[in-house]
Amino acid sequence: MNEQKLISKKDALETMGISYGQLYRWKRKGLIPESWFIRQSTFTGQETFFPEEKILGRIGRILSLKESCSLDQLATRITEKVGKKREVAFSKLSELGWLDEELMELCALGDEGTSVTLEKAFSLGVLHQVSEIGRKEEIRLIKRTLDEALTKALVERIREQRPLLHLLRKRVSASGISAEISLVVIASDGAAFDPDLETVQVVDLAVVLDKIKLGLTKEEK
Amino acid sequence: MSDQRKEASISGAGMISGGTYDRVSISGAGKITGDIHAEELRISGAGKAKGKVEATKIVVSGSVSFADDVIADEMRISGSAHVDGRITAKELKSSGSLKVARNVSSDYIKISGSLRAGADVETEIFRASGGFQIDGLLSADRIEIRIGGRCQAKEIGGEQIDIRRGGWREKGIILDGLIKLFTGGGTPGLETTQIEGDEIYLEDTAADVVRGKRVEIGPGCRIKMVEYHESLKAHPDAKIDKQMKV
Repeated sequence: MNEQKLISKKDALETMGISYGQLYRWKRKGLIPESWFIRQSTFTGQETFFPEEKILGRIGRILSLKESCSLDQLATRITEKVGKKREVAFSKLSELGWLDEELMELCALGDEGTSVTLEKAFSLGVLHQVSEIGRKEEIRLIKRTLDEALTKALVERIREQRPLLHLLRKRVSASGISAEISLVVIASDGAAFDPDLETVQVVDLAVVLDKIKLGLTKEEK
Repeated sequence: MSDQRKEASISGAGMISGGTYDRVSISGAGKITGDIHAEELRISGAGKAKGKVEATKIVVSGSVSFADDVIADEMRISGSAHVDGRITAKELKSSGSLKVARNVSSDYIKISGSLRAGADVETEIFRASGGFQIDGLLSADRIEIRIGGRCQAKEIGGEQIDIRRGGWREKGIILDGLIKLFTGGGTPGLETTQIEGDEIYLEDTAADVVRGKRVEIGPGCRIKMVEYHESLKAHPDAKIDKQMKV
């Protein structure tokens, strides 16, 4: 990181011929990641610097694509590009507050260096949402259900189908003996269940995925 | 299951569980216990939302606290609202008091009451005639501020930035006194470390650095350093320590 050559905001604007207005607009749209803005004090006070190669490259790309698509389309494009990188940094997971030891162990995370696969991060995110309310064996059940669904390209189908994960319980009793069973269902919005089922938790899988992806665009490595 | 729409209204004291609603209205004291999704949320009493709130329209004329993020197309506050998460809106208007712990992002923001934001405020158009305190960056294509109380932002950036004295000076002593009463007696003014924009006009502003293409520093300003690209005009009643054409 330290060896990166930096360029001041002023010089970057001058070099690329863009205005403050444009730069702030692009930053708002997420086209320029927050982490590229590096503050340093100079003799004139605080100034903002950028990693030179990255910022000039990015501005150039925005300028060349700006003619053919809107800023929002551009933002999506850049998101998609990052989305293809299917690795999620540990720092990101800890920022999301998902690094729970038990869950990590369940997802077999920990000895893989600094990043994990998108699928693993996704499972962790889903489990995190049910970890407070779900029982231990239910969490394992959810993990097994997710593993199964992930082999059937769950992540790829999320945007289109908007599946929800339901954790359900049902109490059955007969002649004085009662038992409770837990069920896990991944179904698209609008699925109907028998009225005796108690819904313990519903997780919108698209929201979990968005959380991961949003983080990736904002602080692209 | 989710196609079944419902309405919930509390006019005494009550609780609403999370879920999807058409209309939620609270005119007594109400608590929303989970994440909700609603077409319309109206709070004219005292409301508390424990979860995330997503609504097409949110109208607050009472007092409300949101414990998590708020997402809305239109959000109007004439009472007081406290948000512990972030606000994502298309149109946000507050004539009351609005406190947000994290980021505020919208297409349009109009503040005629007071705004306090714990992080960045990002919008296309920002109009303020009240007072505000923004602990992060205030960024917008167009920023129009008519100073009507204490205005503070860590940094300000955008295309057109226009900061002027509010109308109270012309409206006489009574209003002046009232404003002083509400703002703690200090002279209304705007304080920031840095302003960056293409077209900048400032009055009653104190800043460390102002950087812009065309800059005009009006009366009542105290600026340590102005860096301009094309032109700089300064009022005789403005104090500029250092200026530089870049």
